[in-house]
Amino acid sequence: MTDTGSNEPGPTGGGEHHDREPGPSAYGTDTTPLFGPGSRFNAFFNDPRWALAIIRATVLEAAHPQVGAALIDNSTFVTHPWRRLRNTLVSLQRMFGADDGVRQREAARLNRLHARLSGTDARDRPYDAMDPEVRAWVVATIFESSVTMCRLSGQPLEQTAIERLYAEFRAYLAALDGDAGHLPPTVQEFWTYYERVVEERLENTEAMRVILYKLFDHLPAPPLLQGLPTMWAAGRAIAGPLIGVITVASLPEPFRRRAGLPEVPGAQTLMQSAYLAAGLARFLPDGWIQTEGLTKLLTLSPGGDDPRARTVDALRERMKRAGALVRLLTPIPPEPEPDGATGAPRGAEEFFSAVLDQTGDGYVDWPDLAAMAREIAGRLDLDEPEETRLYDAFADWWRELQTALDTDGDGRVSAPEYAAGVPSLAGPALIRVAEVLFDVTDADGDQRVDAHEYRTLFRRGFRRNVPGADGTYSRGVFVREFLSFMSGRERSTPYDPLFTDA
Amino acid sequence: MIDVIEAARRAGVRWLSLYAFSTENWQRPGAEVDFLMRLVRRVVRKHAPLLHARGIRCRFLGVTDPRIPPALTRDFADLMTLTEENRGMTLTVAFDHGGRGDIVTAARSLIRSGVPAEAVDERSFAAHLPFPDTPDVDLVIRTSGEQRISNFMLWQVAYAEWIFPPVLWPDFRAPHFLACLHAYQQRDRRFGGVTPNSNGAERP
Repeated sequence: MTDTGSNEPGPTGGGEHHDREPGPSAYGTDTTPLFGPGSRFNAFFNDPRWALAIIRATVLEAAHPQVGAALIDNSTFVTHPWRRLRNTLVSLQRMFGADDGVRQREAARLNRLHARLSGTDARDRPYDAMDPEVRAWVVATIFESSVTMCRLSGQPLEQTAIERLYAEFRAYLAALDGDAGHLPPTVQEFWTYYERVVEERLENTEAMRVILYKLFDHLPAPPLLQGLPTMWAAGRAIAGPLIGVITVASLPEPFRRRAGLPEVPGAQTLMQSAYLAAGLARFLPDGWIQTEGLTKLLTLSPGGDDPRARTVDALRERMKRAGALVRLLTPIPPEPEPDGATGAPRGAEEFFSAVLDQTGDGYVDWPDLAAMAREIAGRLDLDEPEETRLYDAFADWWRELQTALDTDGDGRVSAPEYAAGVPSLAGPALIRVAEVLFDVTDADGDQRVDAHEYRTLFRRGFRRNVPGADGTYSRGVFVREFLSFMSGRERSTPYDPLFTDA
Repeated sequence: MIDVIEAARRAGVRWLSLYAFSTENWQRPGAEVDFLMRLVRRVVRKHAPLLHARGIRCRFLGVTDPRIPPALTRDFADLMTLTEENRGMTLTVAFDHGGRGDIVTAARSLIRSGVPAEAVDERSFAAHLPFPDTPDVDLVIRTSGEQRISNFMLWQVAYAEWIFPPVLWPDFRAPHFLACLHAYQQRDRRFGGVTPNSNGAERP
């Protein structure tokens, strides 16, 4: 979670390249390419300490008023943190991988994504995810947090390693922005820059407080563990506040003071122990702590047909039984059970909060629908002009929704407004969304969505009752299924994990 | 109850069914039904770990009425999930069950599957009953001195032996159960055929 806006990490930039891109030659004899398997970044990627460092970086990012405003307005990280984490890591891997073509494509994608994120904050100050200063700060926080994580865990990096890492992050910014000019050329100057931003720019923003005090207390279980709500909640009740305390203690002291963050007795020791413990995890056998594998596992939807599905399904079976046992062993609460109407078709309010309100602020407005478009575009790995077509279709749908449902005219749709107007949901613009979704999913343009195209979008195989006899979806069936999902009438469609998985 | 289940398991019974609540029991006074629901829930939760530890596969026959409290349905589902891989004894608890209802369900399912009338025989019909792997019932024990079927697993009890001990169900314990088993062993089951033992021959 490292970015100014929504789904993907890092700031982004235009197509022009390499004005002042630092090359390896700037750092003496080290001729290892800045990107790829030999990079410092790559060594960090599977480091368990990195999890703490990334949380810390995200907090520092969010404390920047522009980034904070963009996060609050657009990000789905509170409601769909696991989806967001996965997208972020995939993007970082593309950006830091060895393949230049992949990197350029990802940078262009991030640029398009960030170009869609701008607005004004609660105090009417403008924010813009394309602002080079903002993007430099985001990269700066990841670099600084990586360095700090080593220091806090008692294994500080050597000066040459720090310089090397800095060069990599500058190259990252250059790949995104075309130019790393907003990050000082040397590490020495970087620290001056960093301290100045911390002193002058950072604020106690709402986004920062959400990350510190709300995100981890309400973190939904990753899809794989959803059978274990009690256990998850119990673990979270302990871990949530701890993560907050640990992160606060690791922030720069001047900022803690200025933002009025609490000094908890023992927090420094706790924080250093946490980093130390996470650092020791590197002695675990290889493969236990592969960030990529772990993240994929956590974001797998139950019942999907990932190649590892059998192992995962077996694991899930056990999880399910463990969950059943935990529930049976949990004492019955003394008060009488509320007669919840279970088994009823999904209510309008539930659909509203599970599917439509992607940012979890209790209202549906453009950022919610944009988040859907973003998730679809990410999964299908869309290029232009398809990506813009998809966004445009969603934007038209938003206008249609707003016209039909926003009865009090405040520019957004509340749950009661939605519930009152559900019947009018399937208007022409929504049908258009379905059509465009079919077009972009049908990658080979043969007017059928085949098993491969289907899996790309839904990350799972066809359901048993495949509509077409030849195992493909026709446009009509595809559109019908989408509409019946979006009108909230049907549960357990492939769209559920697409839009509702945490 | 758990006493009887354990006795059955030790005696080598592979399939045991208990009739906890019939579809007709809903006609009882509301307060009594409520009490019963709470009681069942407590019993299920209390014994779940033991049942699982003994390798007993538990399942619930019926449980379709929306009046059943959701929390109880949840517990039933959890107990089934927890024990579904067990391969010791299978314990079927008939709850909100009616034998006629099951037969109607099977008939509906059969019609939906579009089987031609001539193709329906007893075996294919039985495959549409709930829990079709349940074998024919060998022995029904009806406690409390009552001598009625009360709509219990009508299809499966076609050739069952019946025993009617006078003891009330709450007092029915392992020794009573074993006595019933012993009585069953003395029965001569012919399934409508001729006796394999001619008069005067020694019984096996």
